[in-house]
Amino acid sequence: MRKFTIPTWFTIGWLGFVLFLAIFGSLLPLKPWEYVYENSLGVVPFSKGHLLGTDTNGYDLLSSVVNGARLSLFISLTAVGVGGLIGASLGIASAYVRGKFDTVVVTLFNVALSVPNLVLALALVSVLATNIDVNNPVPTWRRIVVLTAALTIVIIPILGRIARAATLSWTNREFVVAARSMGMRDRNIIIRHIVPNVMPSLIAVGFLAIGVVIIAEAALSLLGVGVPDGASWGAMIARGRNDLEYSPHVLYVPLVFLALTVISTNHLGDVLRSGLDRRESKI
Amino acid sequence: MSLLSIRDLSISFDTPRGMLEAVRHADLEVPAGASVGIVGESGSGKTVLSRAAMGLLHGSNVRSTGTVVFDGKELTAMTRVEVRKNFGTGMAMIFQDPMTALNPVRRIGSQISEGMIVQLGMDKKKAMARSEELLSLVRIPDPGATLRKFPYQLSGGMRQRVMIAIAIACSPKLLFADEPTTALDVTVQAQILQLLGDLRRDLGMAMVLVTHDLGVVAGNTDIVAVMYAGEIVERAPTRELFASMRMPYTEALLKSIPKIDMPSGKRLQVIEGRLPDPTDRPVGCGFAARCMYVQPKCIAEHPPLIHDGDDHLYRCWFPLEKK
Repeated sequence: MRKFTIPTWFTIGWLGFVLFLAIFGSLLPLKPWEYVYENSLGVVPFSKGHLLGTDTNGYDLLSSVVNGARLSLFISLTAVGVGGLIGASLGIASAYVRGKFDTVVVTLFNVALSVPNLVLALALVSVLATNIDVNNPVPTWRRIVVLTAALTIVIIPILGRIARAATLSWTNREFVVAARSMGMRDRNIIIRHIVPNVMPSLIAVGFLAIGVVIIAEAALSLLGVGVPDGASWGAMIARGRNDLEYSPHVLYVPLVFLALTVISTNHLGDVLRSGLDRRESKI
Repeated sequence: MSLLSIRDLSISFDTPRGMLEAVRHADLEVPAGASVGIVGESGSGKTVLSRAAMGLLHGSNVRSTGTVVFDGKELTAMTRVEVRKNFGTGMAMIFQDPMTALNPVRRIGSQISEGMIVQLGMDKKKAMARSEELLSLVRIPDPGATLRKFPYQLSGGMRQRVMIAIAIACSPKLLFADEPTTALDVTVQAQILQLLGDLRRDLGMAMVLVTHDLGVVAGNTDIVAVMYAGEIVERAPTRELFASMRMPYTEALLKSIPKIDMPSGKRLQVIEGRLPDPTDRPVGCGFAARCMYVQPKCIAEHPPLIHDGDDHLYRCWFPLEKK
């Protein structure tokens, strides 16, 4: 594989950093993120004791953003991982088998895609995990599970269609007929000949999808059906949206993390696609 | 007793435009160890015939009638699992375009050994060692290093050699070579044909050589079948065919090969017109519309396959004079 450029190293570094925060953030010697510092409300970044400042409620923004990385990344990686696995299996199988199965799968994909992503997720979350009874709120873990599942469902048709399209073009290649002419079973042809060829485009779109899910999660938080209490980047933005006028840094801190992460996943997806594609990289 | 005998085989595809008759009433015998050529222009059904003979055509839109008997067993009556067992060990195929017939993302070694692992039950290590032997058998320099290469690192001729190595890996009794040299330049063509001939002799394989090039057929086959519009229109031992062809189409095909001693600037001979629409075959002879010697009977009635002794068959009402 060819050498990475400087922007690519930067994106890898950033994603590594964010991933590190998500996994080991709770072990770092930071102030507790849930603690309210009543004497320092709305402190600007680079102040003494609060590196990234505090919001108008008195929460430390550095601790919050480190803590938020965990849920933001967990939700997006799970949604894309599980959604990608289900979507790719369905897409590859339907393109290989064709016939009625294919028609059913494509119809389902099209129906799912015809509903805007956000509306679909919003509908699922508000039906399955919203408290109708104010005195008996839905537990946070259930909210997170439903949110992740909703975003997974959004991802399935996106990656499924990519996998199906790629499989369609690869199954007509002569090496598939050649493999069959040597007595390979369909299952082995799919695993050994189709999947390795479908992976590059799937990985590229998968990385794009991570960005899409992070943003969708933030948007859902802003609409009030996401993770509560500033526990993810989106939730931080939602909590700070009223401070935009007088303490804009409250929004800037999670927004910068969010934007850099999404830009990084998009860029890395592109680099991986061209790197994994052996024909394109050498000719 | 023939190794492969195709009897009255017809293949049609059910397309939105109607039934597409790709092969009609084909009869062909391949004796054990012999080399049989199938010649015809693009779209004449040669590839479909060879794939159908091997049992590679399946799908909801394929309709076939007739029988294919291979090594005493009727292929057309076998289940898909039985047909699959026959692949590689019974019949194998070399594909036309070595650029697309190799998987671009897998190493040469694993692609060659795959067939042996699946069909002969070899373990990976043994199959790899055998792959290296096969690569040297198809005269690839430094076979050990080639095993670890990807297809893009090889030239067209090398890739075709790899394709041949894959096809002969499980020592098939019959090798189909579907235009094995079309994608290669002329010097490499000669090397590949030489290699195929040598391998055939050494391993005692029979071969079906599918090509559009009469020149290729002339030097490399024992029997030639000429196909036109899905039909075998002439079939004879190679020597006999070139000595006295009876079918005007074969003659036209031979005349359209440019010759080195032709004066420069002279127009190349072509066969005017084109193949009849495969979804709407003419009533009479398929070649009538393009034939120099056409008569009213040719357009009105379909010519049967005529035996003239000497194993020479042709499908023409007014054949050329026997020389």
